[in-house]
Amino acid sequence: MFEARGLMVFYENMLALNNVSLQVEAKRIIGIFGANSAGKSTLMYTLSGIILDMKRKEEMAGGERITVLGQVLLEGQDIMGFKPSRRARQGLVLCPERRRIFPESTVLENLLIGGYLATARQKKETLDYVFQIFPALVPLKNREGGFLSGGEQQMLAIGRALMAQPRILMLDEPLMGLSPLVQAMLVRSIREIRNQRGITILVSEQYARPLIPIIDYGYILENGTAVLEGNRQDLLDNPDVRSAYFGV
Amino acid sequence: MEILVYGIVNSVTLALMALGFTLVYGISGLPNFAHGALYVITGFIVWSLLNTLKVPYLAAVILALLVTGLIGAAIYYFILIRIRGMATSEIIASYAIGLAILEGLRWGGFKGMTYTLPAFIPGSLNLGGVEIDYQRIVVVLLGAAVMGGLWLFTHYNRIGLALRGMAQDERAAMMLGIDSDRMAILSMFLGSVLAGLAAVALLPLGNIVVEAGYNVLIMAIAVCIVGGLGSWVGAVLAAFVIGFAQILTVVYLEPHFQMVVAILAIIVTLILKPSGLFGRQKELEERV
Repeated sequence: MFEARGLMVFYENMLALNNVSLQVEAKRIIGIFGANSAGKSTLMYTLSGIILDMKRKEEMAGGERITVLGQVLLEGQDIMGFKPSRRARQGLVLCPERRRIFPESTVLENLLIGGYLATARQKKETLDYVFQIFPALVPLKNREGGFLSGGEQQMLAIGRALMAQPRILMLDEPLMGLSPLVQAMLVRSIREIRNQRGITILVSEQYARPLIPIIDYGYILENGTAVLEGNRQDLLDNPDVRSAYFGV
Repeated sequence: MEILVYGIVNSVTLALMALGFTLVYGISGLPNFAHGALYVITGFIVWSLLNTLKVPYLAAVILALLVTGLIGAAIYYFILIRIRGMATSEIIASYAIGLAILEGLRWGGFKGMTYTLPAFIPGSLNLGGVEIDYQRIVVVLLGAAVMGGLWLFTHYNRIGLALRGMAQDERAAMMLGIDSDRMAILSMFLGSVLAGLAAVALLPLGNIVVEAGYNVLIMAIAVCIVGGLGSWVGAVLAAFVIGFAQILTVVYLEPHFQMVVAILAIIVTLILKPSGLFGRQKELEERV
């Protein structure tokens, strides 16, 4: 059970997240939808702890003042004070927006770096699994990450995150900028990962339509506030949501 | 033949001096201007262990490398961690630390020409008509071993791979469970050990003098800028370019132009190709 309670994030005086609470049950796929600057990425950074690193760097440089309030609970334990690396060790792994592949390392090395937390056996097993769900990566094993196409990079980013042995995998805009064909393939893979590995998945997108068939529960973010939540049918039944996020 | 042999020796010397600097910069983006001071301090630690405590040579070397590594890690942990990510402050702080160490050594009485380390293997060898002492051969072998070792470490070792991940995208590495502070401390430790290793190999060829600290720093910076900051392959390549250029000036011009070559290399690189020979990271970014 993974939970966020009353998350508030300020960049200076700008409120980026306003009292957002999430409840994520194990082995579910949770969608987080919202327009640009609705707070999706800030939410992901807050859940994964990256916000703490941003806050620290800004403080040192005398830059923007970032304020973070609220709780992030993993199995009942408040992990808000934990660094990102410690949260990852607890099984909370973020696959970030814009993928952030290591451009000068090969595909295989990217995956091995992802396996930093894994034991040798887990590494081998997960590597086989990644190449099984993303067979397109197999012939690219020795190509540098920077030379992959967007879709290939996204597969690699998800594979790399899987190598870190997540219990909860957070995907920040995994479909951004990809063709509908690749999007459909990735959506299938996301469901497969949940079904075959029992990993809880949080996935954020601007446009909900490609993801709606696979999510168990969803939240709509608007200006940093979770304005609506519900299961697939609840979201589809709301006429505003339908026109704004599903395009139906 | 002379040019070839001494060119190689000189190039490997430069590479040894620069590798520690480029390693730290490559991994944590920290321009460690205390690099030269760490180099010199290793020399004095070895000398002190040998002459005042009568420790065997090999043990003294290993101990000194360890101590230097710890000094580097401590510099990072107690001081530089607070100004992480602010390049100018990092340069000023690390240079100040370097100055304090070097001038502190001078003030403490380590000056003059009396401090020397014995060669590992005394004697010399005739290599195709060129007289070369064993210590210089040791330098070349050690340099090759260090480069090979680093390559293996960063391509096949779990920690080495994590270091490379951090070098490329610190936050992405954090998301995968890599602790960036711990890795930065480790990179500083390794960088300091490499500075020490260079000192141990090179100092038996001359005296241990405080001024060497400044020279080593300038050489390291020259090599790193020509090679492309943070690129290890570039650094090795640049070491050979500058190394041979220096030997050629010594042979065809005058010996005291050696330092000019290094400084000139910095200027020419910054004018013609600011990202250096192997500034690939930047080029890739531009292409994407």
